[in-house]
Amino acid sequence: MPLTENELLELEKKAFELRCLCVDTVAWAGSGHIGGALSAMDIFVLLYYKYLRINPKDPGWEDRDRFILSKGHAGVGHAPVLADRGYFDKELLKTYNHTGSDFGMHLNSQKVPGVDASTGSLGHGISIAVGTALAARVLKKSYLTYCLLGDGECDEGQVWEAAMAASHYNTTNLILFVDRNHYMIDGPTENVMKLEPFADKWRAFGFIVKEVNGHSLRELSEAADYALEEKTAPVVIIADTVKGCGVDFIENQAISHYMGLDDEKIRQAKESLQRYYENRVKGA
Amino acid sequence: MGGMNYDVYSQIKLQTMEVYGNTLCELAAKHPDIVALSADLAKSTKIGLVQEKFPERFFNVGIAEQNMFGIAAGMAKAGLTPFVSTFAIFTSMRGLDQVHTDICYQNLNVKMIATHAGLSFGAAGSTHHCTEDISIMRTMANCKVIAPADGYETANAVVAAYETPGPVYIRINRGFDRLVYEKADYGFEFGKAVSMAEGTDITIIACGSCVYQAVEAASVLRADGIKARVLNMHTIKPIDKDAVLKALEETRRIVTVEDHNIMGGLGSAVAEVIAESGRACAFTRLGIPDCFSMIGLHEDIMAFYKIDTNGIAENVRMLLGREIEEDEDWTDEV
Amino acid sequence: MAKQDELYANKILLNAVLPVVKVIIESKENFSKSFKGKNGVVQFSALNEGEKTGTHFIIKNGAFTVVLGIAEKPDLEFEFPNIPHFNRFFTGKTKKFPKIRGLRHIGLLIAVFKVLLYMPGILLTEKPHEKEADKELYVKLMFYIATSGISQLNRAGHPDVTAWTKYSPDRIVQMEVKDRPEFAAYLRVKTGRTKAARGKYTRSKPFLTMLFDSVDSAMRIVMGVENMITATEQGKVVLLGPPEMGVEVGGLLFLVAAYTK
Repeated sequence: MPLTENELLELEKKAFELRCLCVDTVAWAGSGHIGGALSAMDIFVLLYYKYLRINPKDPGWEDRDRFILSKGHAGVGHAPVLADRGYFDKELLKTYNHTGSDFGMHLNSQKVPGVDASTGSLGHGISIAVGTALAARVLKKSYLTYCLLGDGECDEGQVWEAAMAASHYNTTNLILFVDRNHYMIDGPTENVMKLEPFADKWRAFGFIVKEVNGHSLRELSEAADYALEEKTAPVVIIADTVKGCGVDFIENQAISHYMGLDDEKIRQAKESLQRYYENRVKGA
Repeated sequence: MGGMNYDVYSQIKLQTMEVYGNTLCELAAKHPDIVALSADLAKSTKIGLVQEKFPERFFNVGIAEQNMFGIAAGMAKAGLTPFVSTFAIFTSMRGLDQVHTDICYQNLNVKMIATHAGLSFGAAGSTHHCTEDISIMRTMANCKVIAPADGYETANAVVAAYETPGPVYIRINRGFDRLVYEKADYGFEFGKAVSMAEGTDITIIACGSCVYQAVEAASVLRADGIKARVLNMHTIKPIDKDAVLKALEETRRIVTVEDHNIMGGLGSAVAEVIAESGRACAFTRLGIPDCFSMIGLHEDIMAFYKIDTNGIAENVRMLLGREIEEDEDWTDEV
Repeated sequence: MAKQDELYANKILLNAVLPVVKVIIESKENFSKSFKGKNGVVQFSALNEGEKTGTHFIIKNGAFTVVLGIAEKPDLEFEFPNIPHFNRFFTGKTKKFPKIRGLRHIGLLIAVFKVLLYMPGILLTEKPHEKEADKELYVKLMFYIATSGISQLNRAGHPDVTAWTKYSPDRIVQMEVKDRPEFAAYLRVKTGRTKAARGKYTRSKPFLTMLFDSVDSAMRIVMGVENMITATEQGKVVLLGPPEMGVEVGGLLFLVAAYTK
């Protein structure tokens, strides 16, 4: 269903708050994968506040929609969303990365409620997602599986093994997102190992591709709505995003993949996020 | 065709893998949560028997092992019990990151039945041999490791795998295995070694295809008056510490035999128990001596690496001659 | 020239029976007292075609060390002119003492005499002992003599024994009384070598154990007063281990016994 004006404004606000909480979490953790967390935040917010049929009070509910963060290093963006959604107390985010904490760089499905798979090694999550989607078929259940990949992650052969399987088994109860933020650790994706023509690759593997602005909640939502209806082939939504989105001094920089933030930088980041939010709602 | 010779008059004229496939079909008929996966090896690993009976519960992922283990993990998360089959080398190496992270780390109910273990696929060469898997899978936390000795034991192990929660790794051979038991109902118990022969001169601890060889070796030795105890250590993790300690106390000489590298497998697992016990023991590990094997028939390669009947008997005799610690004083006490 | 059988018997008496004198002295208070504070070397020897074999005791302040073999300058020596005489003396067939050197060590001499006179009574009697202390001493001594005896026969090359030891893997044969660890002795055998030792073998489970249910049963069976087969049926003795080995060892024990009678 298309987003109403109110829904959109609510989601924009959420995205802003959670970007701020993400910055805080990185600060509490000492350092973190901030770039990829910020670029994915709009997708997180859209899914967790509009699409996912979940119950934070019952994280193991058998018929819930699944969300698998295949780019597991974005845990520092996922955890604030889960906290805000009610899976656990926000206070726990302050223990992120601390010795003995349940929260580490890559979220542990055995320790953190709401996490459907322990990812971190790239390329695994999409296979697990195909698995849960196929299981729904065997169990004759109607839950959906959403999976978010990174773009650099798509260098892994396993991603394409899973894509082939998804196409072969026509797992239309699986909806893929790719956070196409164009950067990986060693630089721009096209310098390290070129992905283009990226959309064509997915099409060649049997997917229907929706290319959208990854920071337009409206575009993301339209693509998701489309994916929910499409039954002839699985759908991948390639979201064109900005690594470090919202924090101007780290945007589009490979270094934002993983970094620390001191008090000064936190202050600047929050100010930048405020400005970014205001611009977004102005244009909305 | 390579593989072990078999006796056409054997009660079960089935390859061990066929026994596995049939047992799985029986289990699948009883338990709707069982699903089966393969990476284009459904025919080779005989998990294809499930495909024939329950096509909607069988998934072939093509030659994509890493994806397969990921999918299995996803299915286990949704409440199914996936049985995954490919060759041992691919389970323990090609898909190890996935086995480790998706399955073991998340302690999922995935049962990995790895075929063509050890040097049983002799003619195929080292690309298809697997003499490292026991070592590798032992170090995966949460994972149990079983190496059944024959078809009957495989059937028991598959059922035990279903009944034991969490990841289970079972390694079986290509081809036929000589039968070690007369029936399935011999008292298989997960985690408990089976005593195949009794004696107190020396203990031979074996697993998999080496159990038959050890039992035969014990017969040969018995004719010479040597009474060797033979333990079938089918469950290598968790290892039956009590059985090892008992053998240590009562026989003080232990030989381990496995179709696996001497590093890190059954021999090492037993050595760990011995070393930690603080008791002296004359000990030797028989297996593949940390090298890549030649090609050939499984029986011939086993003979070459002295993990067959003659090789075991020879090593037992050698070990019996070895002095243990400072028992050099042969004067009578007065 | 002493006959082969005499030589075998001599080995047992010299190296298995004589050493238990130490055990007797240590077990009986009156004997320990009589040796208290005494020092010296006491030797028992026999001449055989100019050669001397023997066993001696080194006594230091009342404490005994048994040494198999000849000492250079014993203080007190019981020197038998030949092996047959030695054997007859120690099997109780004659009371005729041999030549004694070192008579001047009167104190030591008297103390040794006392023990020598005591020995036939405890070891060679065919009537079961009645006093518990006597039963216990008897069983202990006989266990030690039995295991050492077999070992000595092996060293002497007795064909019946060497046939058994020559190809044997490393094995332990043990005699013990149930729940009485102080009444135990064992024999270790391995490819032709033997070692007799006192007490229980603790390093591993013995290959064969002759387990007596009580000191009394042990005494009766060893003495021959009780038949081995009936005793086994009644559970007074049990053979833990391969039956065929039990038969073999039983035979060897009889052999030792025969030489000491």
